[in-house]
Amino acid sequence: MGSLDRVDLADYDRFQRNEAWEQFDTLRREDPVHWNPEDAPNRGFWAVTKYHDIWAVDRDTQTFTSEQFVGLEEVDDDLMDIRRSILETDGQRHLAMRQLIAREFSPRNLMKNYESFLRELTKKTVDRALSAGEFDFVEKVSGDFPIQVLARLLDVPLEDTGRLIAWGNEMVGNTDPEYTQHQFDSPESEKYKHLPFRSPTTQDVFDYGRALRDRRRGGDGADLVSQLANKMPSDGVPMSDRDFDNYFLLLVIAGNETTRHAISQSMLALIEQPGQLRLLQEDPSLIASGLEELLRWASPVYHFRRTATRDTSLGGKDIKAGDKVVMWFASGNRDESVFENPYQLDVRRPNVDHLTFGKGSPHLCMGNALARMEVRLMFEELLPRIQDIQLNGEVTRVRSNFVNGIKKFPVTVKPR
Amino acid sequence: MTVDLTVREFEADLLVSAVETAAEGVVALTLTGDNLPDWTPGAHIDLILADGLVRQYSLCGRTGDTGRWRIAVLRAPESRGGSAQVHKLQTGDTVRVRGPRNHFPVVASRRYLFLAGGIGITPLLPMISEVSAAGADWELYYGGRSLTSMAFTGELRGDRVHLTEGRLDLSLLDDPRPDTLVYACGPEGMLAAIEERCACWPAGRLHLERFTARRRENEPDSEFELVLQHSGKTVRVPAGQSVFETVRQAGVSVLGSCLEGICGTCETEVIDGEVDHRDSVLDDEERASNEVMMICVSRCAGPRLTLAL
Repeated sequence: MGSLDRVDLADYDRFQRNEAWEQFDTLRREDPVHWNPEDAPNRGFWAVTKYHDIWAVDRDTQTFTSEQFVGLEEVDDDLMDIRRSILETDGQRHLAMRQLIAREFSPRNLMKNYESFLRELTKKTVDRALSAGEFDFVEKVSGDFPIQVLARLLDVPLEDTGRLIAWGNEMVGNTDPEYTQHQFDSPESEKYKHLPFRSPTTQDVFDYGRALRDRRRGGDGADLVSQLANKMPSDGVPMSDRDFDNYFLLLVIAGNETTRHAISQSMLALIEQPGQLRLLQEDPSLIASGLEELLRWASPVYHFRRTATRDTSLGGKDIKAGDKVVMWFASGNRDESVFENPYQLDVRRPNVDHLTFGKGSPHLCMGNALARMEVRLMFEELLPRIQDIQLNGEVTRVRSNFVNGIKKFPVTVKPR
Repeated sequence: MTVDLTVREFEADLLVSAVETAAEGVVALTLTGDNLPDWTPGAHIDLILADGLVRQYSLCGRTGDTGRWRIAVLRAPESRGGSAQVHKLQTGDTVRVRGPRNHFPVVASRRYLFLAGGIGITPLLPMISEVSAAGADWELYYGGRSLTSMAFTGELRGDRVHLTEGRLDLSLLDDPRPDTLVYACGPEGMLAAIEERCACWPAGRLHLERFTARRRENEPDSEFELVLQHSGKTVRVPAGQSVFETVRQAGVSVLGSCLEGICGTCETEVIDGEVDHRDSVLDDEERASNEVMMICVSRCAGPRLTLAL
């Protein structure tokens, strides 16, 4: 076949050109647990591309640890503890830190505390966007909306949202020159290797978060910062300043990029497969259940990494202790052995158990119910208001093999 | 490298290093091990006994002692064999334990009123030590069949302690006391009476621990009836099959992800029926509220469960 020779999941440019999918298809078909070499100083990684293998890795935290970090970057041993957040913590400590605010994100609490606020915000966003006939969907619809929700959860002024967006772009888009001056794959990034995402901007985020925390210490605020400032983790070990910094940074980033891309990718799919858009418009009650199919489709996070703690085997390959094992969620979401006609968006597909949020893992996206609510509300408000929506120019994508992101997405809309 | 599995509890065979008679029909066991997990007053552990019997006993030693745990066990004549087995344990035996877990934690307050009936004194002992050390004001009313049947009376001295042979006089609860939390543990009849008497107290003041039988790990799950209110369907959940699987088989769409009770994706609203919570997501308060459950692992403690599906 030889098509395996043309696979390189470490090449960001192919992702920017939207060439990830054919590589995933090749890997699932020919080599589902595949050794993907990387340029030095990285050592290469196992690319896990089938649904059930990904699930197996994600649930087995004893064999596949997060403590050696979860991106492709190989972090120096002495820098790990400095940069460690709950993403890179396993076991009891992870649970204790996660539990500090996890229940704030439960479906019921979200509905009680945020649904009506979110509904209003969504309406306003849609109103403003539809006042023009032609606009960039990312700029007017998906871009600002998630961060405004986050601003509410953190209880920070709306004027700060511009800053929060830029920070998120810069961190997660650290392989895209349009988003950052401190590109991860540039020689100078070595200077910033003690900082998350190797980005000097993280210091600004830390300073901002600390100032919020210090003001809210001893208060009785219900926002996430107040809870992190005033609650004791269940393991009885207080949060250090560094724990707080990294937690806060994670909230700023996680609540920002991924939901935006999920909304953009879903809309793009509905434009490209207009029969599905019509179904949702004719019966808006399908949006709540079709949401899972949209999330499968959107796959805003391409991958997370684990590290083998012992010699083991997966998909017939011998994996050595210390090897990087990368779960390509986006590939699992197109696994034809689980999802029939995976490239057909089908909003009536029943029981879509996608991998989008990290299925089976104690690290499952803490904000999954929030993301679901945001995407659902956006389409519930938007779709009934549009008669026709067409692509009106080129879709440009983020240069990244971590987020499956859309930067620009010009559309022409005929409102109803 | 060793990595903890997030949801795994401590479980080990501990040495029975001392067996003492604490009162008529009550033995106090000292269990010894290395690096025992920390616990807080009100916590209990599971003893995993022969034939798959699992019994819960409150820890009643010193918190912070990571080498020794103490429990006290009343031999219950009508028991299904758990306490009888424990009473046969001798110094030098080992016993399998799991935990600790705390469904009866102490909330900070300036004043406490402790009410113990019989062996219900056990969780209150470490609570009293803790609040006493914290400088809080407290009183204990402790009743039992007879003074000789009441354990640990020797450790409980001073004018804050009121011992009664026979039933406690609960009229002391008739006037709510300001800034006071009530912690009570004892037989069901006593707890029900306390609840009734405390109805005039502000919400959140009364904290109870019941001796209800919890799920026994190795006994088969029981079958129950499941009503899916919004879908208008009623189905049976057989032993060995989850609520989640049953709901999907009934053609009702429901979210799930880990299917092991750790991620919270399948959280479902409960309309009626007592939930047997088996997840690691909900906190004690949420469990007690009986308002939501994780349907991938949790079941029904009674014959019928109604969900908002």
